[in-house]
Amino acid sequence: MAQPAQSKATRRAFLRLAAGVAGVAGAPWIARNVQAKPLSITFARESSYVKLFDEHFQKVMAPAYEKATGIKIEYQIQAAGGGAVPQLVSMVENKSGADLAWVQQEWLYRDALVDVSDIAEAVGKQQGGWYDEIKHLSIDNGKWKSVPHSNIGQCMVYRKDWFDEVGVKRFPETWDEFLEAGIKLKAKGHPYGMSMGHGFADNYSWLYPLLWSYGAMVMDKDGKKVALDTSETARAVDFVRKLYKEACIEDCVGWLDPANNKAFLTSQISCTNNAYSIMVSAKRDLPEMGKVIDHALNPKGPNGQRYHALVPVTHGVFAHSPDVAAAKDFLRWTMDPKQFRPWIASGDMYFAPYLHGFDKVPEWDIEPRVKPYQKVLETGKLTSWPAPANRAHGAVVNRWVVIDMFSKACTGAPTKTVIAEAVQQLKQIYG
Amino acid sequence: MNEVVEASRATALAAPAQGSFRLGRLGALVQRESVFSWLMLTPPVLFLLAFLGYPFFYGVYLSFFRREVAGPASFVGLGNFVTLSKDPIFWQSVGNTIKFTAVATLLKAAGGLGMALVMNQNFRMKALTRAMLLLPFIVPTVLSTVAWQWILDPGMGLFNRLLVVSGLATTGPSWLGTPTMAMVSIIMVNTWRGLPFFGISILAGLQTIPLELHESATIDGAGTWGRFRYVTLPSLLPVILIVTTFSIIFTFFDFQLVYVLTGGGPANSTHLMATYAYSLSMGAGQMGLGSAVALSMVPVLGLVLVLLTLYVRKD
Repeated sequence: MAQPAQSKATRRAFLRLAAGVAGVAGAPWIARNVQAKPLSITFARESSYVKLFDEHFQKVMAPAYEKATGIKIEYQIQAAGGGAVPQLVSMVENKSGADLAWVQQEWLYRDALVDVSDIAEAVGKQQGGWYDEIKHLSIDNGKWKSVPHSNIGQCMVYRKDWFDEVGVKRFPETWDEFLEAGIKLKAKGHPYGMSMGHGFADNYSWLYPLLWSYGAMVMDKDGKKVALDTSETARAVDFVRKLYKEACIEDCVGWLDPANNKAFLTSQISCTNNAYSIMVSAKRDLPEMGKVIDHALNPKGPNGQRYHALVPVTHGVFAHSPDVAAAKDFLRWTMDPKQFRPWIASGDMYFAPYLHGFDKVPEWDIEPRVKPYQKVLETGKLTSWPAPANRAHGAVVNRWVVIDMFSKACTGAPTKTVIAEAVQQLKQIYG
Repeated sequence: MNEVVEASRATALAAPAQGSFRLGRLGALVQRESVFSWLMLTPPVLFLLAFLGYPFFYGVYLSFFRREVAGPASFVGLGNFVTLSKDPIFWQSVGNTIKFTAVATLLKAAGGLGMALVMNQNFRMKALTRAMLLLPFIVPTVLSTVAWQWILDPGMGLFNRLLVVSGLATTGPSWLGTPTMAMVSIIMVNTWRGLPFFGISILAGLQTIPLELHESATIDGAGTWGRFRYVTLPSLLPVILIVTTFSIIFTFFDFQLVYVLTGGGPANSTHLMATYAYSLSMGAGQMGLGSAVALSMVPVLGLVLVLLTLYVRKD
């Protein structure tokens, strides 16, 4: 077990303070309280869909850290599916709460996070280097504000048996083929269920890649100019409207995050875009269905490219933590391969590290159907791509600007109108 | 008998004097009604100032600033309100809120009146039925809304299963999947939840109507409708008005139901001002703009309060 480095800054601060206090007031009880290492560190993290992953942390890692350092780790599990962001915003605004956290949508509050470049650079060097795309999220003005943990892969989850039934033996390579297969499946009573509601990830994980593969983008590379109002965007919108009308279940236009999992597991839909939590649930509760689920990468678009949207898990330390150094020590310890690899393995590779050192680890071969979730890293982009992942982009995601552009088209609004409304909002957000 | 009453009055009159003698000057001060009433009033006023006043005034302050999470604030005057005036989603959420409040309140008032009239009759297990009807009001909103999510599920939900099993439809509607049905659904769930508030309040009003009024109306030849139209309804009007006012306020500011059921979707068709304010502030981190949306709700509340005050004074 690696012994974490101790927080020297705190001790020095204590010595100075303790000397002064002892000299002036001679109150030994104050010295005792200041000298103590933090009794506990609070680590806030979104509830994992993979129970064993959370259990591994609580039953193996947290006790091991406490044994090694005497510091208790409070594991504060937050609501899943985007619900954690308001809690994090609240912590930042109130300057209280957890010491470190899975800093979802860190672009909203980077200023409240401390520099963790020392940890991120050391981890990258030790474990094969970071994937480039994630650096655009974690590095801000040349400093790492978070340490990337992993990506929650999002790709196509489908019922192989039903696709076989309509003669589609291999998952469609292009969006057009995807539509063609969907029409056949819907005719057989097995529509697709592609989320387009005000959820968190299952909507943008296919709509953004689709938009990009039509050659369109939301903002230009510098994030200065709105780039959405193009004929490529119009074609993408028209395609999604057609896909919705001809191949999807009507309900999916209003789905929140759990809805597609529920619809898939109750055999209402033949395909959706999701993390592999659907297969985890099916294997556990519906073994027959578990055998006929498969995963595939997103189809390619007219520009011949295939894209995926990253759903990053990054850990950051809050500047409001009473002992930043101790929180950083703990974060460094979690990323040590001795801890990190078993932790990732405990989640059945649901979380794919952004480290090249994990590209070929044997854990990926335990369940071959999970492999696409590692492959998404190769073509994965942040939803801000190609623009910077900044505060303004956070507003675009959280106000569902792009998602609503598509969903409004599906519910009857003309293509020109939905694009114009999205552009208007983008201009307001980016000022 | 009279002597006993006189004696007890004398004791009662003497008691304060003895008390003030024991408590001294401070006690005497507390005994003064003006001081005592302020003493009683202070804790709730402090509570309201801390938990309602502070957030409210902070919200007013924020609405004049461009202020993002963990970022510095810059004064923009009415800039946020100007931005909102050009924001189609804001206007859509205003329209949705008015539609949602108006329809749901009307349904609750009509349904609540019906519920109260039925509950006012004598029948077996009346007390149990009354208690059961309060359930929607008692169950935490988030919990009941999650249950509604299941009920409204297009494939496995109770409603559509009933429609299919009874042969009324081959497939049920998409309750939350189309803009119109999603609005219908949130109004339906809000009505379900708010009905007992109307029902119980109106029932209380009903029970205060003297039986003699009904009897004399019957003697004058009034039938069931006549008694309802000229006796029951006018007597209930003050209660109905007060309850409706409160309901408008609750419904106008509803948040939980929409947040859990639709998140404001699909395509913003169920975004209320409260959910839009939340999504701007806590989701998008635009605290100033979100506060401006929240503040825009205040004039409506103010108008309702003015009307209510005028009505109460008139009475």
